[in-house]
Amino acid sequence: MNHKLEIRNLTKTFNTEEGELKALDNVSIEVKPAEFLCIIGPSGCGKTTLLRMIAGLEHPSSGEIILDGKEVKGPSPDRGMVFQEFSLFPWRTVIKNVTFGLEIQGIGREERYRIAEKYIELVGLKGFENRYPYELSGGMKQRVAIARALATDPAILLMDEPFGSVDAQTRNALQEELLEIWKRTKKTILFVTHSVDEAVYLADRVAVMSARPGSLIKCLDIDIPRPRKRTSVEANMFREQLLMLLSIERSKASISV
Amino acid sequence: MEKRTAVIGWIVAAGIIAVVVFGTGCIEEKEPAPPEMTTLNIGYQPSTHQIAAMLAHEKGWWERDLARFGIEKVTMKEFPSGPPEMHAMLSGDLDIAYVGVAPPIAAMYEGLDAKIVAGVQTQGSAIVVRPELADEYKRKGALSLKGKKIATFPPGSIQHTILSKWLLDNGIDPEKDVDIKAMGPSDAATAIGAKTVDAVFLPSPTPTIIEEEGKGVIVEWSGSMWPNHACCCLVASGRMIREHPEMLKQIIKTHINATEYEIAHPDEAAEIYAKWENANVATIKHSINATDMRWIHDPRLEIESGIEYAKVIYELNKDRYESKGIKVLEAEDIFDTRFYDEVTGKR
Amino acid sequence: MKLPGKDMWLWTVPLAIALLLWEFIAGYVVRDPLLLPRFSAVIFSIYALRGVLISDILVSLLHFGIGLGLAFAAALPLAIAMGWSRSIFKAIDPIIEVLRPIPPLAWIPLAMVWFHLTHYAAGFIIFIGAFFPILLDSYTGFRDVPRVLVETGKVLGCIRDRKLIKYVAFPYALPFIATGTRVGMGVGWMCVVAAEMFGVSDSGLGYRLFQKFYFLHQMDYVVAYMLVLGLVALCLDRLFRHFVEDRLFKWKRGIVK
Repeated sequence: MNHKLEIRNLTKTFNTEEGELKALDNVSIEVKPAEFLCIIGPSGCGKTTLLRMIAGLEHPSSGEIILDGKEVKGPSPDRGMVFQEFSLFPWRTVIKNVTFGLEIQGIGREERYRIAEKYIELVGLKGFENRYPYELSGGMKQRVAIARALATDPAILLMDEPFGSVDAQTRNALQEELLEIWKRTKKTILFVTHSVDEAVYLADRVAVMSARPGSLIKCLDIDIPRPRKRTSVEANMFREQLLMLLSIERSKASISV
Repeated sequence: MEKRTAVIGWIVAAGIIAVVVFGTGCIEEKEPAPPEMTTLNIGYQPSTHQIAAMLAHEKGWWERDLARFGIEKVTMKEFPSGPPEMHAMLSGDLDIAYVGVAPPIAAMYEGLDAKIVAGVQTQGSAIVVRPELADEYKRKGALSLKGKKIATFPPGSIQHTILSKWLLDNGIDPEKDVDIKAMGPSDAATAIGAKTVDAVFLPSPTPTIIEEEGKGVIVEWSGSMWPNHACCCLVASGRMIREHPEMLKQIIKTHINATEYEIAHPDEAAEIYAKWENANVATIKHSINATDMRWIHDPRLEIESGIEYAKVIYELNKDRYESKGIKVLEAEDIFDTRFYDEVTGKR
Repeated sequence: MKLPGKDMWLWTVPLAIALLLWEFIAGYVVRDPLLLPRFSAVIFSIYALRGVLISDILVSLLHFGIGLGLAFAAALPLAIAMGWSRSIFKAIDPIIEVLRPIPPLAWIPLAMVWFHLTHYAAGFIIFIGAFFPILLDSYTGFRDVPRVLVETGKVLGCIRDRKLIKYVAFPYALPFIATGTRVGMGVGWMCVVAAEMFGVSDSGLGYRLFQKFYFLHQMDYVVAYMLVLGLVALCLDRLFRHFVEDRLFKWKRGIVK
């Protein structure tokens, strides 16, 4: 089977004032097409660094990142990214934010707007096209960010704790909407999170990373059928498993300071 | 809430108003300085026209002659030209001024309390053109200046007044046909050297200095533009006239002595000027020889020109003066010859 | 109780009181039109000067326009370079910091030698006044572009610096540029009198104030022109705010307020 994304022996070392800092240690993952993969791990384990390298914003010290059979060299709209912080361009309206990537590619105005409206409707914000970001709530902003990332029809969607800045109820609503979007667009999604609950609810598979320097400990297949219940017995079982893995890693981190 | 802020605002405003009114009232309470005067402020300009002032100071005559009136210090204040000097006199910073006849008249129209009490010098200014333009001037005279840039002293000065009148007499409109730029003597000398202006009209010794530096050619002396025109004079503030008449008479006496001395010893006069203004002694001596200026001390020699200046200045500012009900100044508004007459025994 | 147009009273009444106070103090306390011309005399002067007033204002605005235009054209490219590249900033900033504190008036002798007695000499002094505020605020805008916006631009297809500057940095910096321009306009206008007082032109508010009114001791005309200078500055400022800041920067309202 052809993998959508292959990460082979990825290592990243940062040169800081205090010396060398190894963030990632020989990480290898394979992601299947249309798969929803969550990456979870203790703080500082390098999961954000991993995502940023896939996005092309950082360069690996060694190893390869292969998307659709081609090596990743730098940032590109074929890897859409949704950041944790609010990242909408405040001077552009909703629809102008969403058309941004298309505008850069030189696509004509009518075509851009047609595509953008499709995705704005997909994230449930029809009618808000001409609003400015300052008029939107946190949840709405992230939804626009998702629409914007999808508008360029990326091969893979990277999400770095996108729902971390909103309140718990909005978060749950956004998770459900994301699953809906995923179902309709059939995108491959790489989702970094702190929250075990979130991972269990959303993911086909969960990759658990160790404490720094981050390496892959275990990949857990979440085989609960969808639509999932957050409080089902199977969900709890997976939650327990993951929490235990994480607490082991956390205690390892505090010992090896 | 809003009402309270507004009330506080009014109280603060009322407080400020009260302070301002009482404060200015207090300033008014202060009487003019008591009759005891220990410092005399004399204004002058860097021109050979006014060497008498420098000479008297250089030889210590001011302080020597005025010591018996209680004067401990005589301060000499230099100004680039007459109008700023009169502005200082208007603010009460000068008691005596060596200045052209026109600037105090212009200042009197605006309320200067002073009178011309003695003469200093007549004629002595010259038009200098850039060397390339000298031939044109020889051929066409005044008309060659049409469309040119001329630097001279500011409006209200002798030079500006004489130049304006002379241009008018030659059929040239000083506002429209030429571009007259106002500046001080050193700025004008720099300007003609940098070819920023085409001609200058300045009092001695600057015209000679420019010529010796090869930056210009003297083509006309003011005596041929307006024969025997009065140039510099001695102005005394109204306060000096009213409160210190005896001191004023002595000042005039000292001035007469200085004037007689410089007439008799032109080379020494040149040396004193060169020392004061950091100029080349030989150039200054040459200037005094070449110039058409005459050192004088009798104010009567200046009355005729003075009345003319008063009329010309009035014409130039007619709209303003008429709207304020200001009339043309007459001889008695401008001159006060009593002190000179008493000193010289003329009655 | 809300009075109609309550806000208007807040500034018109103190202004009226100040003017009455001026009239009273000038007319009955100071009683010397050279020391303090009366407000009524000043108003009459404006009427008396109506023949030259308009052309003076226009010539001063011409000098102002030359200076401001040049300042803008010079400051903006420099601001982009200094804001975007840390090394360019470090290289040029010391020179800027030495030149900046030199008062525009101190440049007058050089201006007279370089540009002689032309409109450009006056424009140059105004240029010096306006240049530094525009430069400083503008490069701050370019320098402080949030990293998340820059990275969003990258992942949406702005790979080269030129595209990032055009689509991300410049729109972000625009309000800063506007602020700097407004400050620069204020300083530049203040230099008008200094620029014109040396007779570089035959008209202009500063020229007439210094070359004519001052030398002829016409203090009521002096004060009248002072007022005109202040009023023109007020108009320029308000017009700029209305047409540039209020219209273009609706989106900043959400951030600042």
